[in-house]
Amino acid sequence: MNSNLFLRELRSNLKSLIVWTAIITFLITATMSLYSIFLENNSKILAMISILPEGTLQFKGVSDVNDLFSVLGFYSANNVIYMLVLGSIYSIVLSSNILLKEEYGRTAEFLLAWPVTRSQVYFSKLFVVVLNILVLNAITTVAGYISLETCKKEPYNVDAFLIMSLYTLLLHLFFAYLGMFLSVRVKKPRPITTVSVALVMVLYFIFTISNITDNLSWAGYISPYKFIDLDVVNPEYRINLINIVYFTGFSFLFLGASRSMYIRKDIYL
Amino acid sequence: MSEPAIQISGLTKKYGRDRGIENISLQVEEGEIFGFIGPNGAGKSTTIRVLLNLLFPTSGSARIMGYDIVKDSKNIRTQTGYIPSEANPYPDMSAREFLRYCASFYGVADAEKRTGELMEMFEAEPGRRISDLSSGNRKKLSIIQSFLHRPRLLIVDEPTTGLDPLMQSRFFDLLRSENRNGMTVFFSSHTLSDVQMLCRRVAIIREGKIVNVEEIESLRKKQLRKIRVEFAEKSGDSLAGLPGIENLIAVTERTVEFIFSGDINILLSALRGMTVSDLTIEEPSLEEIFMHYYN
Repeated sequence: MNSNLFLRELRSNLKSLIVWTAIITFLITATMSLYSIFLENNSKILAMISILPEGTLQFKGVSDVNDLFSVLGFYSANNVIYMLVLGSIYSIVLSSNILLKEEYGRTAEFLLAWPVTRSQVYFSKLFVVVLNILVLNAITTVAGYISLETCKKEPYNVDAFLIMSLYTLLLHLFFAYLGMFLSVRVKKPRPITTVSVALVMVLYFIFTISNITDNLSWAGYISPYKFIDLDVVNPEYRINLINIVYFTGFSFLFLGASRSMYIRKDIYL
Repeated sequence: MSEPAIQISGLTKKYGRDRGIENISLQVEEGEIFGFIGPNGAGKSTTIRVLLNLLFPTSGSARIMGYDIVKDSKNIRTQTGYIPSEANPYPDMSAREFLRYCASFYGVADAEKRTGELMEMFEAEPGRRISDLSSGNRKKLSIIQSFLHRPRLLIVDEPTTGLDPLMQSRFFDLLRSENRNGMTVFFSSHTLSDVQMLCRRVAIIREGKIVNVEEIESLRKKQLRKIRVEFAEKSGDSLAGLPGIENLIAVTERTVEFIFSGDINILLSALRGMTVSDLTIEEPSLEEIFMHYYN
């Protein structure tokens, strides 16, 4: 790792980290503040939900409407969009540009001509990505916890909340490493933001479709979202080793492949 | 005897449909200013990018100051400065931030002093954001960053593009003075006059291959001129047949253009008997020189 490069990247990505963290934290706390109104209007909401097309709730990862009335169920349903989708978009956009921007901005002609190895460039930037994602997750998780504690009407399963938060972090890292992997495969230097965002959306869409449509349930396994247990209200909710192995395995795969490709990459400008 | 500054042996880089470079071999001695000249797209920048390990060679090898360009690239870059042809420093930084950032990689002991001196020499504005700078001012930063750590070898790719004549001359002065202190220069350009002024030897590259490595003196002896004569009345044909005239083209009824490699006095005597309304003598383009010598 090179500390100059690391600090430079940290500084140049700080603004976007602050903005994304602020937005997600705001969305989480603002939505959670609606929980008591949601409970008070229990019957109206049930009536409203009953007229929604089937699958609407699954889109937010909710399998049973009654789950929404527990504070953790309510949090989880909203968390899906805010953290699992928005957070993943943040992660992949950050990671897919961090190496590539030196190429399409043509600054690689300076950086890579200075005495720093490709491996040092790769790891310095990777550490910035990981650190940013850790900060985003730490702040939003704390905000989530405070919201849950403030809004709860009865006790909830804190362990389930922490496990869910761990999955969220692993998912963000998965997308971050995937973004780095995609970016080192790009030959013509140009930003791949659109492709990266689309990829997150498509993988999320595949997951929801597979939940709604029984005969497509196998397709869900294409998507990393399948490996996050959203059923937090279930009293049996435990950490699932298979999911951890899935995320760790893919993380190593993407990281190993992207590092070895980057140190041999032809930098076209 | 010390290792050559640059030793390239059969270096080839192929990519896709682009030509790249083919079987390039040349040697640059320590302490020399070596010209590398060829038309745009000939493979000059590709060669340099392979030397700096931005690109990996398809085959062949090269050593810089004894180090292998692929295996020991970082060691090479510690002692090398590079001025890319298009200067695009980080747009979000100020000039001073960019130079500080650059110096931090080399660990320059007197970075602030050295930066200050070079900025003064090139009249660079330290506080302005790079995104607000003109291409000439960005080029200056690109030049300054390459000299910060007093490199043993300086690789420059079209260094004068975008620079005004005053800055060009300061740049050449700096180049010469650092060269006197032992710095080797690999000077890539498509401007023959720049190369003629600075270099002792020059490699000529065309369509990805080295055509020739020559002493500048011998190139100078073969000096060519591009001449355009406008006659007062139609009499263009009268020059045909004069020794040293090639590619004679009648541009209009009264104007001819040709490449002249003969004795200029013979041409002037021939013109004396005619009524000339205008005469232009200029350096031919590199492409024209290549057409002349290497076709």
